[in-house]
Amino acid sequence: MIRPRSFAPRVALAVAVVVLITSFLGAGWGWLRAQGALRQQLDLVLAAEAEGLLRDYETFGLRGLAEVAESTSRRRGPLLVLLQTADGRPIAGRLPSAPTALQGFATWRRGGGEVPLRVLGAVLPGGANLIVAADLSSVDRAAYALAWAPPVAGGVAALVALLLGFLFGQGLERRLAAISGAARAVMAGDLTRRLPESGRGDEFDRLAATINAMLERIETLVAEVRQVTDDVAHDLRSPLSRLRQRLEAALARARDPAADAEALEGAVEELDGILATFTALLRIARTEAGAGREGFARVDLSALVLAVAEAYAPSAEEAGRELEVEVAPRVFIQGSAPLLRQALANLLDNTLAHGAGRVRVSLRPGAVLEVSDEGPGIPPEERDKVVRRFYRLDRSRGTPGTGLGLSLVSAVAGLHGGALTLGEGPGGRGLSAVLTLPGDEV
Amino acid sequence: MRILLIEDDAATSAYVSRGLSEEGHVVDVASNGKDGLFLALNEPFDVIVTDRMLPGPDGLSILRALRASAITTPVLVLTALGEVDRRVEGLEAGADDYLAKPFAFSELRARIRALARRPAQQAEMHELAVGDLRMDLLRRTASRGARAIELLPTEFRLLEYMMRHPGEVLTRTMLLEKVWDFSFDPTTNVVDVHVSRLRRKLEAGGEAPMIRTVRGAGYVLSPAEPGRPAA
Repeated sequence: MIRPRSFAPRVALAVAVVVLITSFLGAGWGWLRAQGALRQQLDLVLAAEAEGLLRDYETFGLRGLAEVAESTSRRRGPLLVLLQTADGRPIAGRLPSAPTALQGFATWRRGGGEVPLRVLGAVLPGGANLIVAADLSSVDRAAYALAWAPPVAGGVAALVALLLGFLFGQGLERRLAAISGAARAVMAGDLTRRLPESGRGDEFDRLAATINAMLERIETLVAEVRQVTDDVAHDLRSPLSRLRQRLEAALARARDPAADAEALEGAVEELDGILATFTALLRIARTEAGAGREGFARVDLSALVLAVAEAYAPSAEEAGRELEVEVAPRVFIQGSAPLLRQALANLLDNTLAHGAGRVRVSLRPGAVLEVSDEGPGIPPEERDKVVRRFYRLDRSRGTPGTGLGLSLVSAVAGLHGGALTLGEGPGGRGLSAVLTLPGDEV
Repeated sequence: MRILLIEDDAATSAYVSRGLSEEGHVVDVASNGKDGLFLALNEPFDVIVTDRMLPGPDGLSILRALRASAITTPVLVLTALGEVDRRVEGLEAGADDYLAKPFAFSELRARIRALARRPAQQAEMHELAVGDLRMDLLRRTASRGARAIELLPTEFRLLEYMMRHPGEVLTRTMLLEKVWDFSFDPTTNVVDVHVSRLRRKLEAGGEAPMIRTVRGAGYVLSPAEPGRPAA
């Protein structure tokens, strides 16, 4: 059997087979029903004819009946009439090999021959036997003719189905070829390529639209990754070239243990800075990828904020900054304590390095953690950018820091299903960093 | 000390074992989990240093197998860079300390010393003493000679940790982890400011200094040298 590999012709073939089978079953059923109905009809005709003849018999007697029977028989109609004596001698009409004294309906084959007859017999009061008969073969022919209609229609339908399936399959093939062509182009590296849409808004268009949205997202992500890679390469080049210059200068100098030790110490320091940058980058990447979520536990955020603020209090004081802490008691969230500690520490590092004036740390139920200061703040148009990796305000370039602190805070907020919002501090000046985290009901 | 080093990276393994040997330790090296576990189960060691990722059973599996066999040798687990959350996992599996690669050798040395000095079954001590410095852990008080020292809770925790490891170099990272539970290095000089405040309190009565800064490494608390004038 032929098994087409394409989808549409396969469906068409199945449809054709089903149509053919059902049409033949229909034909059998139709034939039986038609034959039954036509025979019933024939019986009614026979009964009516017999009734008419019996009325003639009542009116005109046996002789009159014989005349009517004779004339009816001679008419070239479908009906045959036989009037015979009780012992089977014909009186009028013609019907070969008739049984004697037939009463009621019967079917028999004339002379044992091929033409079946439907007969109705009545025994008259005088003993004579009236038989009305009709040729059954005409009824069967009609039923046969009727029964042929479904298979013929079915055959035509099957052919049409096959043809449509073939044509539809070719259309399908063309659209799928276009889609897989685009997919292959994307695979080959052309991320700007999109799947074609016919504009008909059908299932294929909807699928293509979904896949195109996915490609859009992938392209954005890849661009972001590329940007980060470029940033990493760029931001690590400066400390690495500094390191190289330092080591080169030390090498070029005459050997002097004290100066060499100093150069090596400087080199180690520079390397530590580079490693710190790498650690921060990896931590951000892991956090953004959702790592650590499996270690989530109930965290007493109130206690955590107090502990971190306490750790920073002496440093703030030393820097001449006032640290005001206002923490609502018993604020719990589901989260990672180490990452939340680091997020708050980064915000405090940030304000101690770049801010000025009084530092306010507040935790409100909800949970909303806010760190604000009275420093120069961040211009509104820069607020989105400072969250990006390595982005630093021009005035901050001289101060220590990796430019990754706020990126991590933002990633930690995202990991916990929250967000980091940067705005103005109280009174419209300074910087306010608000970490909104989904609270945990007590 | 006899130290078992389980590390599959040959370069790291050679560098660490050479460094530890120069310090006067005896170092056994295993390059996969199977050998490492066999040695750890059958030989007495003072400290075991194992990589987390290993061919064969990994570091944490070795750790669990040791603890299941009631071997309480201190274990330090080395891990790849940036895996903050793994630290907790390692400590829960029974590790005594955790160190992220790449690490400074001085950091590893300080941590191994801190581990080895820890008594296998630490008796519940109520009092710590280093030189004339005393600390009552139940009453939460500290004194130097006859002079009582007022300490804030954080300062108390910091001094307690230092007094449990007298004469050892304690790195900033160690202090951040053990005293503040910080698994990161803040840019703010949190540790230095706390240590200098603690130092001032310890010397407030004109006593000789006890906390010494080791450049590029960390801090050491040791009994004041007699006759040395106050700084």
